[in-house]
Amino acid sequence: MILARVVGEVWATRKHRRLQGYKLLVVRPYCWYEPAHEAGHLVAIDPKLDAGRGDDVIICMGAPPRWQSEGDAMPVEAAVMAVVDRCEIDEAAFGPPRPLEFLGGPPPTLAVGRIRTEPIAPGRGRC
Amino acid sequence: MLKGRVIGEVWATKKCPALAPYRLRLVVEQGASGASTGRVLVAADELDTETGRLVMVSFGSGARNAIRPGASTNRDLVCECAITQVIEGDSAEEDSERDVSR
Repeated sequence: MILARVVGEVWATRKHRRLQGYKLLVVRPYCWYEPAHEAGHLVAIDPKLDAGRGDDVIICMGAPPRWQSEGDAMPVEAAVMAVVDRCEIDEAAFGPPRPLEFLGGPPPTLAVGRIRTEPIAPGRGRC
Repeated sequence: MLKGRVIGEVWATKKCPALAPYRLRLVVEQGASGASTGRVLVAADELDTETGRLVMVSFGSGARNAIRPGASTNRDLVCECAITQVIEGDSAEEDSERDVSR
């Protein structure tokens, strides 16, 4: 799973029929672990949790998002699995001072110790 | 599997109900040299690991099997990363500690 912030929503009229009725969120990952996918943004479905713009969320990748929605036939591979209330980082364990950064684009960096809660400046999160 | 260091914790009230008993920990990946790469992931933790410990993280169905065995019965776990081992001693770790003290 990865930690990310919801920066927007995508609407599409023409889309796969099984995606009808699901909210598609644009999220920006913090320090993604998978180098093959180091994109600045990621689109994830939100089957149950009703996350909104500015929320920090945990994104689950792979097969669980399909089971969480309608099963193996769903054309998705990323879903919101939790909405973060609070996040704590131990500076000593994280190593040399390094902010928890967004990937891609200008980094609204986070101070180590606490996830910043104010929303990203308007316009930053647009695709 | 991936070697990492537990650096923190995430609390979430709204989450997959099957994962409610487990803590969600932030883990930073450790490279081959023992230094952290800066990539951070979230892993379910059933071992109650202390912050700062080196751990092995399993992915995909391996992670779900670690939490609850049964490939067809653990599909309610919306989870693809889990801490499955706490590393006690590691030569790479000793090397990196030596680097820090230098």
